[in-house]
Amino acid sequence: MNLIDRYVTEVGKRLVLVKGHADIEKELHSTLEDMLEDRAQKAGHPADKAMEIELLKEYGSPDKVAETYNPFPYLIGPRLFPIFVILLKIVLGAVALGLTIAMGVQIIAHPPATTMELFKFIGQGLLNMVSAFIAAFGNLALIFALLERFTPASELKFGAVQKVGSKFTILHSADEKEEWDPAVLIKEPEPQDVKIWEPILAIVFTLFVIYIFNFNRQWLSLNYYDQGIWFVGFGDLITGKLGSIPLFSEAFFHWLPLMNIAWLAEIVLNGMLLRSSQWNISTRLFSIGIKILQIVINLLLLAGPFILGITAGALAASKVMDMNTAQAVTTALRQVIPILLGLGIFGKLVEIGQAGRKMIMQDKPAKV
Amino acid sequence: MTNTENLENISLELRRGVIVLAVLSQLSGEQYGYSLLKLLADLGLEVDQGTLYPLLRRLEAQGMLQSVWKIEGARPRRYYVISTEGRKLLPELKKEWAGIVSVMDRILA
Repeated sequence: MNLIDRYVTEVGKRLVLVKGHADIEKELHSTLEDMLEDRAQKAGHPADKAMEIELLKEYGSPDKVAETYNPFPYLIGPRLFPIFVILLKIVLGAVALGLTIAMGVQIIAHPPATTMELFKFIGQGLLNMVSAFIAAFGNLALIFALLERFTPASELKFGAVQKVGSKFTILHSADEKEEWDPAVLIKEPEPQDVKIWEPILAIVFTLFVIYIFNFNRQWLSLNYYDQGIWFVGFGDLITGKLGSIPLFSEAFFHWLPLMNIAWLAEIVLNGMLLRSSQWNISTRLFSIGIKILQIVINLLLLAGPFILGITAGALAASKVMDMNTAQAVTTALRQVIPILLGLGIFGKLVEIGQAGRKMIMQDKPAKV
Repeated sequence: MTNTENLENISLELRRGVIVLAVLSQLSGEQYGYSLLKLLADLGLEVDQGTLYPLLRRLEAQGMLQSVWKIEGARPRRYYVISTEGRKLLPELKKEWAGIVSVMDRILA
């Protein structure tokens, strides 16, 4: 992506609410290319980076350009809109995370008696989340609308912001006298940067997995009804079911302590990533270590007794299928599971290779 | 605000008023934004691109202009041309302009 592309993208970010903004961006791009070509011809040499920077400097900051295309008064104008979007993402993310954790804690503290209660609880939680989103959006929009109305551009000390990787760069000061510098657009997003929501999501998900596998093993079951209706999970919460078959065998749970170590290590890794906001040599090595442990676990599962608790006898006993069909199903499962475990090992090896390559290419010193 | 700044601001306002007429008058044939900008500059009217492009969009939205994207080489360009509606309006605008000039000449004489 060259400088003009980046510049046009920055202008476009400020025009998302303007009708035909894609057209504006296309035309702006074409004009800038024309102007650059013109300058190169006059200078008698091909256009270079310095020429591009000079052109964009003269053309004006993305804020200024975007403002000329806004024919109507707006609630939140182009100078504040990018920072509004960034803050909105952060606020909504925090609200979602907070409510999800609160919901998880409540489920653990007061487990619902039936599946229906659980679904009602989750539904209520989602409704609460939507309400909280609307309230957060409304409050933030109100604050920015007031800023837009009552704060002159010259008094706004923060200018437009550009997100480079996980970091935010002030694109230019809103002080009109201070010139904006197109060189800020050159900075490439760094491949080791971590998006803030990734480790958060990973931690929440891993905690959920640890909770189920360690404290609610009975949820990992195949449940059946008299009409042959099957349902996976929350086995102990279903009322009126005829029976359930555990998904995993005791051979699988034999390796649970090792799995717990891997999951806890994942949580520690994601905590480190959350703190440093980027991958470094330590986190890459730690991540490779976890993947090696996961490969070992897969190999142990592959080498040991069958890991699924679903047997032909149990399936036939459910009376949902006859013995012949049940045997065919379990035979198929016995063939599929090793293949899946093998694919898992292959996937982890590829990930280790990728992590190693990134580690070699990463020239920045370790931050943690 | 200094006198120079005042002069600049008032001159800018005066020019803004005539840009619409200047643009419409030069679009009897197809022009893309940058070529129109250069054409107007060659004729002595320097227009800021931040003024011209939004103006072209506004005139198109008002039905005074029509535009079409054309690919020239590897670069797409948006060509503008005066619409039938614009053609009808242009002589009236020219007449209006002549009237203003005449009145202003009398006032400033």
